[in-house]
Amino acid sequence: MDTLVCIKQVPHPDHFGQITLDPLTKAIRREGVPLVMNPVDRNAVEAALQVRERFPGKVTVLTMGPPQSRETLEEALAMGADEAILLCDRAFAGADAYATALTVAAAIKKFCPFSLVLCGSETVDSGTRMVGPMLAEFLDVPYATNVRAMEFTGDVTCLVEADLDNGCMKVDLTLPALITVNKAINEPRIPDVMGIIQVAGKKLSTYRAEDLGLPAEKLGLAGSPTRVAGVWEFKKDRRSEVLQGSPKHVSSDAVARIREWGGL
Amino acid sequence: MDYGFSKEQEMLKKAARQFAETRVAPKVLEVDEKGEFPFDLVRQMGQMGLIGLVNSKEYGGSGMGHLARIVVIEEMARVYPSLGFFFQAGNLLMYALENFGNEEQKKRYIPDLCKGAKVSSFAVTEQTGGSDPSAMMTTATRNGAGYVVNGRKSYITNAEVADVLGFVAKSNGGFSAFFVEKGTPGFEVTRREPRAGFRSISVNELAFTECHVPQANLIGPEGRGMAAALPTISAIGRTGAAGVALGATEGAYEGALKFCRERVLYGKPISDLQALQFMLVEMSTDIEAARWVSYRPAVLLDQGKSVKDLGVDIARAKLLAVDVALRNCLKAQQAMGAYGQSPEYRVEMYLRDMLELLTAGGTQEIMKVVIGRAITN
Repeated sequence: MDTLVCIKQVPHPDHFGQITLDPLTKAIRREGVPLVMNPVDRNAVEAALQVRERFPGKVTVLTMGPPQSRETLEEALAMGADEAILLCDRAFAGADAYATALTVAAAIKKFCPFSLVLCGSETVDSGTRMVGPMLAEFLDVPYATNVRAMEFTGDVTCLVEADLDNGCMKVDLTLPALITVNKAINEPRIPDVMGIIQVAGKKLSTYRAEDLGLPAEKLGLAGSPTRVAGVWEFKKDRRSEVLQGSPKHVSSDAVARIREWGGL
Repeated sequence: MDYGFSKEQEMLKKAARQFAETRVAPKVLEVDEKGEFPFDLVRQMGQMGLIGLVNSKEYGGSGMGHLARIVVIEEMARVYPSLGFFFQAGNLLMYALENFGNEEQKKRYIPDLCKGAKVSSFAVTEQTGGSDPSAMMTTATRNGAGYVVNGRKSYITNAEVADVLGFVAKSNGGFSAFFVEKGTPGFEVTRREPRAGFRSISVNELAFTECHVPQANLIGPEGRGMAAALPTISAIGRTGAAGVALGATEGAYEGALKFCRERVLYGKPISDLQALQFMLVEMSTDIEAARWVSYRPAVLLDQGKSVKDLGVDIARAKLLAVDVALRNCLKAQQAMGAYGQSPEYRVEMYLRDMLELLTAGGTQEIMKVVIGRAITN
């Protein structure tokens, strides 16, 4: 069973405090912030490797991003993925969830025959949760999101357990399909030394806009229907005040005070 | 500025950090307080290939080299210095066997040691002192197809948990290196030394009483024991001690920096106060200097320079990294005030552990003797 895992390089969550917003471009400034694989994408890679342990096949990892995204692909290769694909072109820059999904779908259709596509349920830097489902629509395959467990019940069927806000849903998917996984699905492995050494011998292909056969107006910022209207930063402040009285009085007083300070 | 890491070394550093932060960090407070040896972590390190970095693939290692080893020790020590120190001490016999042992010895022991399935130790120091190994009293007397060993060794790291222990003894007018397996009649670990630091690591006294050691356990030629032990202590023990010191200093510094950013006094984080900023600046500058000096001999060893030619560089690395560790772990405590004494913040652990490095792999004064001889001759 050939599995494709879509991953993304994101700013290191421990360094989010260093991220600032550019009011002109309305984009985040990441300069100097270390980059890592989106945390839940590790779970997606792990899930794919576990699928390969049961069903022979190839695990391919794919990302769209600037040249340094290669590092994230190499990390996935060190974890055990067989091949990697980097979609890298200035024309892809500024893509929203729609343009990203469209571009990735075009690459998958052209270069990656698959039985299963796995994604992390969300990214820590944008958190839209939309790329996975949109990608499934563009690939015209069934999908399940926020999946905490999956079990293959036959050659072409997979029973998944998806977390909802107020419970859990079990879904039978017929392959080929797309699944977005959450952190409960597994504990991702850490690359070992032999995995790291083997990376140099694995195939990592880079494709540019012209390789995908999509018109320029469908790519990047030009192909993105979403427009950011404005960005602002939350101001962090510390204040303390001791409130006295009955619990009822103190709680309503506390709410009033927080509102007065702009916290609500 | 980078340190000339290869892509593999960069990835190894990341993987080691990930292991330390996700698998080691959650256990540190508990194992350090109880003084327990974290066997499970050692096995996991072995499975990941983190133990056999300076051993060749042929014997179960990866051959990634000395810089890779220092980086992994540094990452372990940044989170838990005891684990970094275990790692550096455990590599001694592995290095001695690979570089001075025979084929059978290499094949029999190194693979299991690389995997973390077995643990090793290496014993040179005696009550007569570690700084003058020639004064050792332990003897190995030829007897039939082997040797009879009598004597005691002191302050031996990991002896209590070791499945196999290398040691040096006087024999036939010189010194010879041997190894002995756990449970060999006449060999016993007699005491665990109470220590200020490295609580998870056992430091032991051990005794050989009419202990029969077969000829097959001789490492290298008879009478050439110091020729095996001294390069091993230098290339592994001293470079490793520098790596532990470096990692622990980083851990203490990062703890202090985080604390200073979060702790509010006079209406602002204390990291805004110049007095605290100066402390943090001195710490980060010291760390950068110690890192360059500690990586240098490892890089040169990987380039094929001999341990003998690098004696001064290695001594400088150990001397500087441990000095830097001691003064900066203390500084981190000062920056954190009373919180610095709390185990929860770990800085007190780093300081306790660094005291142990004053003597590990040779005292600071012996490092100065090595360097002093070279620069005055």
